[in-house]
Amino acid sequence: MIQTLKDIFRAIRHPRDLFSISAADPYKSLKIRVILLDAILSLLPLVIVVTISYFWFQSILKEDYRSQIKWQIENTKQSLDFFIEERVSGLRFIASTFTYEQLSDRKTLANVFLKFKREVSGLVDLGVIDSNGIQQAYVGPYKLEGKDYSNQDWFDEVIVRNVSVSDVFMGYRKLPHFAIAVKRELPEQGTFWILRATIDVETLSKFASAMNLGPKDDAFLINKEGVIQTPSQFHGNVLEKLVFPLPGSPQGATVQELTESPHHACTICGYAELKNSPWTLVAMIQSAPYLKIPRIFKNELLLIIILSTIVGIIVVTRIANTLVNRIQGAEKEREDAIAQSEHASKLASVGRLASGVAHEINNPLAIINEKAGLMKDILEASEDQSKSREKFLGLINSIFDSVSRCRTITHRLLGFSRRMDTSHELFNMNDAIREVLGFLEKEIMFRNIRLELVLAEDLPRVMTDKGQIQQVLLNIFNNALDALLDGKEGAITITTRAEDQKIRVSVSDNGHGIPKDKLKKIFEPFYSTKEKGKGTGLGLFISYGIIKKLGGNILVESEATKGTKFTIEIPTTSTSQ
Amino acid sequence: MHSNDRHEQELRLLQLHFIGKILAGFTHEAKNYLAIINESVGLMGDMVQMGKSSEKDLSEYLQIIRSVEDQIKKANEQFRALNRFAHRMDTELSSFNLNESIFELIALLTRLANQKKITLIKNFQEDLPSLYSNPSLIQFLVFSVLDEGLLKLEKDSRITIETAGVDQAVQIKIIPEGNVLEQESDVPSVPHEIVEMAIKQLHGNIVREGGGETLIVLPLTAS
Amino acid sequence: MTRTKVLLVDDEVEFASALAERLQMRNYEVRTASNGLEAMALFHEMPPDVVLLDLKIPGMDGLEILSNIKKFDPTIEVLMLTGHGDVSSVQKGMQSGALEYMMKPIDIDELTSKIDKARKKKERG
Repeated sequence: MIQTLKDIFRAIRHPRDLFSISAADPYKSLKIRVILLDAILSLLPLVIVVTISYFWFQSILKEDYRSQIKWQIENTKQSLDFFIEERVSGLRFIASTFTYEQLSDRKTLANVFLKFKREVSGLVDLGVIDSNGIQQAYVGPYKLEGKDYSNQDWFDEVIVRNVSVSDVFMGYRKLPHFAIAVKRELPEQGTFWILRATIDVETLSKFASAMNLGPKDDAFLINKEGVIQTPSQFHGNVLEKLVFPLPGSPQGATVQELTESPHHACTICGYAELKNSPWTLVAMIQSAPYLKIPRIFKNELLLIIILSTIVGIIVVTRIANTLVNRIQGAEKEREDAIAQSEHASKLASVGRLASGVAHEINNPLAIINEKAGLMKDILEASEDQSKSREKFLGLINSIFDSVSRCRTITHRLLGFSRRMDTSHELFNMNDAIREVLGFLEKEIMFRNIRLELVLAEDLPRVMTDKGQIQQVLLNIFNNALDALLDGKEGAITITTRAEDQKIRVSVSDNGHGIPKDKLKKIFEPFYSTKEKGKGTGLGLFISYGIIKKLGGNILVESEATKGTKFTIEIPTTSTSQ
Repeated sequence: MHSNDRHEQELRLLQLHFIGKILAGFTHEAKNYLAIINESVGLMGDMVQMGKSSEKDLSEYLQIIRSVEDQIKKANEQFRALNRFAHRMDTELSSFNLNESIFELIALLTRLANQKKITLIKNFQEDLPSLYSNPSLIQFLVFSVLDEGLLKLEKDSRITIETAGVDQAVQIKIIPEGNVLEQESDVPSVPHEIVEMAIKQLHGNIVREGGGETLIVLPLTAS
Repeated sequence: MTRTKVLLVDDEVEFASALAERLQMRNYEVRTASNGLEAMALFHEMPPDVVLLDLKIPGMDGLEILSNIKKFDPTIEVLMLTGHGDVSSVQKGMQSGALEYMMKPIDIDELTSKIDKARKKKERG
């Protein structure tokens, strides 16, 4: 089996080798082809299912992750909203609790500022601004008393909306801040005043980046113009514009994939507009843990596939080996059976010829016996011996003739016995035909058959197995004899001629012929048109095999009730195959 | 597996070779008889031609004729043996009498044995049961063992062939008696593996004893 | 008793003539025929007591001749001569009424004793 696997690998790596294996050992190549085909057919579905599962699983995980991101963005958005809301509420409370006059007092403002600062983190300063936009009171690290804000956008906004949350700006110390302003209306005086607090971005950004993100991920705030508000790790600094635009989003968080990103690896971008502030929370997610998990899954899958492949190939190889070996064994058994059959057939034909000789010899032997006996009688009768001389000489001549006849008959046997195990000799087909006919002489005479021989005179000699050719000739002659009908005068014509490097021997009879539908089958084993008990049905099958092995061909033409013609072709230089 | 094939092929070839040998030997024997007849009759012809007809001549004629008749009888026996031998090959398996088949084999081998001046002696059990087996193959087998003896033994030796019936089987014992030739004959006899192959096909058993005896046991039914 | 009339049917002329002569020297009246037609013709000319019939005759199967003979006159005894051990033909012949068979080459003394036995049988009816 190891050898088979080696052959498979060889066949895969060098497909052309498959042809050379095929020629040398057809069973080996059959094995290889069966194994490869089986392996592919059985592993293909596995691979397809695994691949589909893999991608499906991956997409599920991705969906899951996106949901998580969305949820996280939602959460963070709400925290940020709350953060802002908290500070806005605080300022509102202060503005409604204290009067303008109270808070304009610096000491009171400072006190309130300290207390407020304790409760709310990130507070940098606190200021009171009159309806003209002038900061009347201020507590904080800067000197901003008297600053005029009347030109600023937030001033207009707070007058209209009562609340204003500003975008992030660079403060006097080049640190990012943002400011929240609330308006306190004084309806009796028909005026208002503004309370404004500046908050540092640090706390804000802490919230933004509190999202549970991977190291390559980034979460930050941008304003309506796309300017970055809180520090981002990869996408630009505060107050820089974000490189790519984001489409406006409806309420709630949106998560979508980006095909292009400045860092080439960003797969998911999530964003949400904040409620209480003019900002949008943006999360750029590069990490894709849903890819990591599949990697592990992929490893397991790969292991399963490899194991299955190995087991599959081993099993398939085993099966293919067994099957093809069985086929080979069966073929061999068949060949053996045929060889044994051929041998038995050869023996039988030898036996027939030898016993034919024994039968034939009987008559001349009997003649010699009688002639000698007669001479003895004459001698013993002791009559007048004078006339005997002539008679005796006649009888003696008769004996000579018979002895000669015996010799011819027995000589046939010698020729045949010598040929029992030579397989290549140079001989003339006409002689071979005449020799075989010699054995059938008696029967032909016995049945009054008209035998016509048209044998080419200059027939070239042929180099092949004379014994086997004669076996085939005997078979065909016997078939011809058997085909002849009793009522009609039987006629057999045998012709020989040389054509295109071949010797052609034709044997025609005017017997019962073979119907067209049976014609194809006559060379099949155990097929016989003779009555049961006559013939084995193997004669033509074996003859066909012999002629084919010697490089020749047997052809048959026949018409029912008219006759049959067998033609044997043998190349003049025949080589056994 | 392959050597098995080779052995089978060799067995078949050797079997054919053996038959050829038998036929050739037979033909020579037959030709001898015919030659003797021819010469004897020829002699008589010459004498008659010369007009010899004295009492002595006449008695010589009678003698010649008697010898001719004798030769015819012998030739006839040989041809009958050939006929039976040949018919053994008609079918692979048949029911037959073992003694008869060995008898005709010995008849056809007599000339060969006589050439080597070795006598073949038969010692058959009379009422041997019929065997259902391959007679021509058995003849080949017995021949193979005999051939060894014929090649190894000196002149004036003898080989006895015994048959006996045992339980559900028959036994053939081949007992060579005589001295072994110093020089090995250059013509090899049938190799032992081939003999084993033949025995296997016949479902029998062969034992070569130390004293040169060979015992073949064959079942009554070879299947 | 008159001389036994013997009809010898055998296609081998040399054999038949020599054997016929030998039998004639032994005081049998012998006619020979080399095929079935001749045999039947001779039958009418000289009905034999015993027929010596060679089984393998071209033109008319030996067994056919045997049955014709028996049809013609069942009292005529037939001895079959056969060259080869053609057991089936011999068996058929014996079943069809042949008295005996002999294998060629023939022992003349054995033959004459069989012919006499056949004649006796015929006389007895």
